[in-house]
Amino acid sequence: MPRFATLSHACMAWDGPAPAPEDAALDQTRELEKFLAEVERRAFRIAQVALRDADDALDVVQDTMLKLARNYAARPSAEWRPLFYRILENGIRDLQRRRSVRKRFMTWLPGPKEDPDNEAQDPLENVADAAPQAPDQLMQAQAMQQLEISLQALPARQRQAFMLRTFEGLDVAATASAMGCSEGSVKTHYSRAVHTLREQLGEVW
Amino acid sequence: MNEDSATLLEERSRALFEDSVERVDMRVRSRLTRARHAAVEAAAKRKGAWVFGAPRWTPAAGVTAAALLGAALWFAPQMGNRPMPATDNPAFEDLDIVASSDEMELLQDDPEFYDWANRATSPDPGSVG
Repeated sequence: MPRFATLSHACMAWDGPAPAPEDAALDQTRELEKFLAEVERRAFRIAQVALRDADDALDVVQDTMLKLARNYAARPSAEWRPLFYRILENGIRDLQRRRSVRKRFMTWLPGPKEDPDNEAQDPLENVADAAPQAPDQLMQAQAMQQLEISLQALPARQRQAFMLRTFEGLDVAATASAMGCSEGSVKTHYSRAVHTLREQLGEVW
Repeated sequence: MNEDSATLLEERSRALFEDSVERVDMRVRSRLTRARHAAVEAAAKRKGAWVFGAPRWTPAAGVTAAALLGAALWFAPQMGNRPMPATDNPAFEDLDIVASSDEMELLQDDPEFYDWANRATSPDPGSVG
């Protein structure tokens, strides 16, 4: 009986022939899809907080996914998360720069001022929710809104450090990799962000 | 600010963020899903090209190789039929004559004829008999 047990164990330990390159590529593609599915909504919310616009946030996340898939899919999956957030942060920064340039350029052009009352509205925004929000959900939403306002008031690097560390749970090294700076800088930015947020939100929370 | 209040802030922020992620609306979810599928498809195409040993520059390399082969086939016959270049050095021609055994035999067979022929081509006409 022990002999059978040993043989059985040996059979279990033998993994068979090495997978074909096509199979390995398929496995990695599946792993990539799983990673993106796990991270996409969180990335969207992070981009939305930074950009204050859902469509811009969607565009940046979409672009980030494509860039990661095209350029870094062959890298080990452990490297994907910091790479993904680095691409995302670069995309957010580029969009903010373009907005800033556009805003400066538009101030020089004569034209009718935009009337906020006449802006085209998304019809979906006027549709009432199917289920009314419970009081505690409403409070949660309001608290998140306050947090977003405070985060948007932070300097960009502090906001990045706080969101990557707190929201996404990256450690200091991965955050430094995603932000393209030293670990010391991450600690400094993060500490200042927490201090400022605590001062602003302490009484409300 | 003490450590506890900072930790509380982090925990509360994290919980609020997770809650907001769960409440992302269906329109956004749908667009994210489509974006993900497009990204995965792009990655699969790229990997497939390398797995099967056909990198993206293969068509260009094939066209270049075909062009080189065509040029070689076009110019090769012309190179083979080209005449030898004429030499400007007469010493090579003399050397051929000297080396030829036939010419030497002719000279030995009829020396008087060659002597007459030499005199006939000389500028003095009276010397020819």
